[in-house]
Amino acid sequence: MWSSDLEERIREVLAQEAEAARQGLEGLEERVMRAIAQRVARPGLWRRLKERWGLGFSPRWALAGAASLALVLGFALGRLFAPSPLPPSAQAGTLFAVVNPQAHSVAVMGDFSAWEPIPLSDPDGDGIWTAVLDLPPGRYEYAFLVDGKWVGQDPQADEYVRSFGEYASVRYVGTGGGA
Amino acid sequence: MVLGELELVQRSLEGDLEAWGEIVRRYKEAVFGVALAILRNRADAEDATQEAFIRAYERLHYYDLSRKFSTWLFTVTANVAKNMLRKRRRPDPQPSPGRIPDPAEVVWKEELHHAVKEAVWSLPESYRAPLILRYWHEMDLAEIARVLGLRVGTVKTRLHRGRALVRLRLVEQGVIHDVVQ
Repeated sequence: MWSSDLEERIREVLAQEAEAARQGLEGLEERVMRAIAQRVARPGLWRRLKERWGLGFSPRWALAGAASLALVLGFALGRLFAPSPLPPSAQAGTLFAVVNPQAHSVAVMGDFSAWEPIPLSDPDGDGIWTAVLDLPPGRYEYAFLVDGKWVGQDPQADEYVRSFGEYASVRYVGTGGGA
Repeated sequence: MVLGELELVQRSLEGDLEAWGEIVRRYKEAVFGVALAILRNRADAEDATQEAFIRAYERLHYYDLSRKFSTWLFTVTANVAKNMLRKRRRPDPQPSPGRIPDPAEVVWKEELHHAVKEAVWSLPESYRAPLILRYWHEMDLAEIARVLGLRVGTVKTRLHRGRALVRLRLVEQGVIHDVVQ
């Protein structure tokens, strides 16, 4: 028997097996969806923490959030120990930060800019993109554009809203209305 | 409107279970094939298929959208099936010995088909899995290697050996002559 003949036989056998499998797999979609729904109904530790503390982001975002927090702490420590005053933009204003070393361009847009993108910068190339905007007190909806892709859930946001099928973040500036 | 695979994945990421149900509908037979390749037992493979789709949904945020979705899904499936194999802690069931057909009453093709089936399913898992992924799923060597966590060279070797073992078994059973082509 030629190898090609043998291969053809093997294919035939497996095709028959696939045909036989179809019956056993009927209704699998419903079973999977039901099982997932049941697991969601019994949330795990991470989900419970999120619900309890209102952390509306995934572990991956938590990492980004931690890095952003470190950045904010860095600013605070810098203010304490820096021999010279920080540049005006860091002294006052609202910090927007995205941690994404793979990104080529990052921008923030929102109510404050009529949803026109304002570029974030990463001058030292460490993947932490920032912009400090001087915003009057108020409630602002906003989102980031990372390489042109909408990123609506900022870990530093006070809350999230969903509009037009997409998430957007909300920040309260100087109003005490945030979380 | 028929939704594209990427859109279904993105909707699933947002918690749309119906979208994931559609993914299950599209891939269930292929996923079952991967599970069966490793587990051989049909009932176990059905359980593994269900578990693989649940596991994949739970880990969907780890999926890199720029990579081929089916390869990622098959990799999750292979891992689920291998874990089941380890937990099963019992030897692979040996295929029931094939009925010894009376050459006078059965046609040769039927006998050959039966013998090939027995030979394929009696292969050790390390040879059976690559062989089935190749001939059932028409995967290329690189994809098989990714799904099973092997090097491409290893896959190539196992495919050749697996096919040789099938041939050897057919020769032993007297179904074909011992002529290597």
